[in-house]
Amino acid sequence: MKKVLDEKILEEANSWIKSNYKVALVTVIKTWGSSPRQVGSKMIINENGDFSGSVSGGCVESSVIEESLLLIKENRQFKKIELKVSDENAWELGLACGGEITIFLERIN
Amino acid sequence: MKKHLLEQILDKKNRKEEFAIITNISTGDSFIFEKNKTLDANFEKYSDVINDYFENKKNGMIENTDIFIDTYLRPTKVIIIGAVHITQYLVEFAKSLNFEIFIIDPRGYYTSDKRFPDINIINKWPLEAFEDLKTDSCSALIALTHDPKIDDPALKHALKNKFFYIGALGSKTTHLNRCKRLKEAGFKEEEINSIHGPIGIKLGGKSAPEIALSIIAQLVSETYKS
Repeated sequence: MKKVLDEKILEEANSWIKSNYKVALVTVIKTWGSSPRQVGSKMIINENGDFSGSVSGGCVESSVIEESLLLIKENRQFKKIELKVSDENAWELGLACGGEITIFLERIN
Repeated sequence: MKKHLLEQILDKKNRKEEFAIITNISTGDSFIFEKNKTLDANFEKYSDVINDYFENKKNGMIENTDIFIDTYLRPTKVIIIGAVHITQYLVEFAKSLNFEIFIIDPRGYYTSDKRFPDINIINKWPLEAFEDLKTDSCSALIALTHDPKIDDPALKHALKNKFFYIGALGSKTTHLNRCKRLKEAGFKEEEINSIHGPIGIKLGGKSAPEIALSIIAQLVSETYKS
């Protein structure tokens, strides 16, 4: 197997860290159904809410940003979140495509 | 993830090494996994299954554990013959792809750093250049000079070393003549037929960026076939 894609998200994370931003790294660790991004897809968020990369096709990114900001604010180190379409209480926005994903949020510090 | 771990990861990526990041999602601990290197004590009992995932280039949660493995594969080596106009766009399009690019061109006036900043340019004839450049069946060749003196030796090298992708620029007539020369040089018909010529998928465009795009599209599609 060869991997063609390299979105350079970790490189960008490192440049944010060097500029003294607080950074949360989010990685897709599991997928079910027709989720748009594959396992290993990454997104980074800083304390200002700036973000880069993606964990879905744009369906859940706003919620992921909120969760990441909370992680930074509460000074927590990591968190696992399952995004299920049916779980309306936890997530206002489900994956429109009908997929489910598990993401892992972690601080880089 | 610790800052210094991130720096180590980027260092390994820069050195084009093959490795994996393993994370225990119940403790948040991450480590770099490398083949034949001792695992951290926290992960030792999973070493067989981690090895198995790594060997099979699998990404994901390891079954019945809290361990996530993210494998980083060596980039595909892409050798471009000719530091020409199309090459400038090829390099641009390839930036966000996992390709390690080398440009070979013996013509000094083409290979200035100003035309190709931050790219490995080898200002030598192909055969001389390949002496120092390790290539194998995971390498790709894009021949763009359509000058037999420069392209042919590179094509022969790529055929002998069984590159997974070989493409050569030139019209149908140019390509027919090229095939004839390769046949005379003793290459088998099936080898010669494996060369993508005229190079690129049919997009219809004739400008340098359009041809570059059609070549990149063909290369990516062949990458997933092999």
